[in-house]
Amino acid sequence: MDQEPVKVIGISGSPHRHGNTETLLDAFLDGAKEAGGEVDKVVLRSISYDPCKGCNACHKDGVCIIEDDLIPLFDRILTMDVLALASPIYTMGITAETKGFLDRAQYLWARKYILKTQYFTREHIRRHKGVFISTAGTGWENVFSSAFPSMTAFFDIMGFEYHDNIIANDMDRWKGIRNHPTALAEAREKGGKIVATVAGLKKGKEGDQAVNGAI
Amino acid sequence: MAFKILAFATGPRRHGNSETLLDWVLASMAEEPDVVIEKVALGEVTVNPCRGCNACEVLNRCVQRDDMDVLHDKIIAADCMIFASPIYCLGICAEGKALIDRSQVFRSRKYVLKLPVVPPERLGKRLGIFIASAGQNWDIVFDGAKMSIKCFFHVTEVKDKDILYLLVRGVDKAGEVETHPTARDEARATGKRAVERLREMNR
Repeated sequence: MDQEPVKVIGISGSPHRHGNTETLLDAFLDGAKEAGGEVDKVVLRSISYDPCKGCNACHKDGVCIIEDDLIPLFDRILTMDVLALASPIYTMGITAETKGFLDRAQYLWARKYILKTQYFTREHIRRHKGVFISTAGTGWENVFSSAFPSMTAFFDIMGFEYHDNIIANDMDRWKGIRNHPTALAEAREKGGKIVATVAGLKKGKEGDQAVNGAI
Repeated sequence: MAFKILAFATGPRRHGNSETLLDWVLASMAEEPDVVIEKVALGEVTVNPCRGCNACEVLNRCVQRDDMDVLHDKIIAADCMIFASPIYCLGICAEGKALIDRSQVFRSRKYVLKLPVVPPERLGKRLGIFIASAGQNWDIVFDGAKMSIKCFFHVTEVKDKDILYLLVRGVDKAGEVETHPTARDEARATGKRAVERLREMNR
């Protein structure tokens, strides 16, 4: 019987359509598609949502009081195998849109850590891969550092292993991602690899060995 | 001459822990004769996120028309800016991040257009205070937020050494900061130290 395809979702958190970060995300998704992945992309600026209000109502029942486009999106993400979250770096951090999105996962955090109604097995987490995709204008080496902790928290809440970063800084010098010597090719390659890896994991033990080789 | 204090309460929860810390700082500053305080709650005004259009690199102003038009001038006029935010998912809340990102116009003015952000005589005389509260008790819980807030202060001509921090961990529930053993005293001391610093800087 044919195996179900590896489901990949890319979330673009840039206010800017088809900018450097979304282009890098597209390269990753293209690679994933070529490797047989079932690929989907959501652009946060084209859906409608509010940031978390910090009301903590979800700590009581695990339900967010805000009913908007994010609830079905989070439901969908939970059915995915690979989650790629893409945000450019603005002022040494992810964009307000991206932060507004991931903070809303608080109700899932509450289910996992307060109400204990959500539990991901180690095996589940190993089979679900999260990737952070980002670009930054400046060449500073620490430009992504403040984003990493938020990504760690987010992937943990969602039950995805924080698998990799696909990041490229110094966009101002390169004059855009398309002029970067390696970033797009690397993103495409990583998209292909991750689908192969997850497909192997889904298949079971035999796949595990292949995966060890790939990593 | 009175020092102009411009305070931002950026959390979505009005009178939450970070805003309470801010209010304590402001109350201790208000006891001094030489300060004028203005507090802005971001929930009561409209500051949209930056669109990343980079037009400010050419226009020297933002293409968006919202309350940032007014806040822009207040930021330039202030002697001391205070930024209070809760920590969500190991970073500043989305509303606070939107305000920080809208400081891109100052960054463009300073680094791209090479124009003054404040009059030259104000350089080195502006103070910043970052106030944050976090539910988690981890050591690293403020690290990400500090990187972004430093950028906000740098582009608005507040030097690294002129940023004071009031960071309180382990307060999550509404009003929990009230029961914190030292937070109120620390906030009060921060307010006093800030006014003292402003006097030194502007002597």
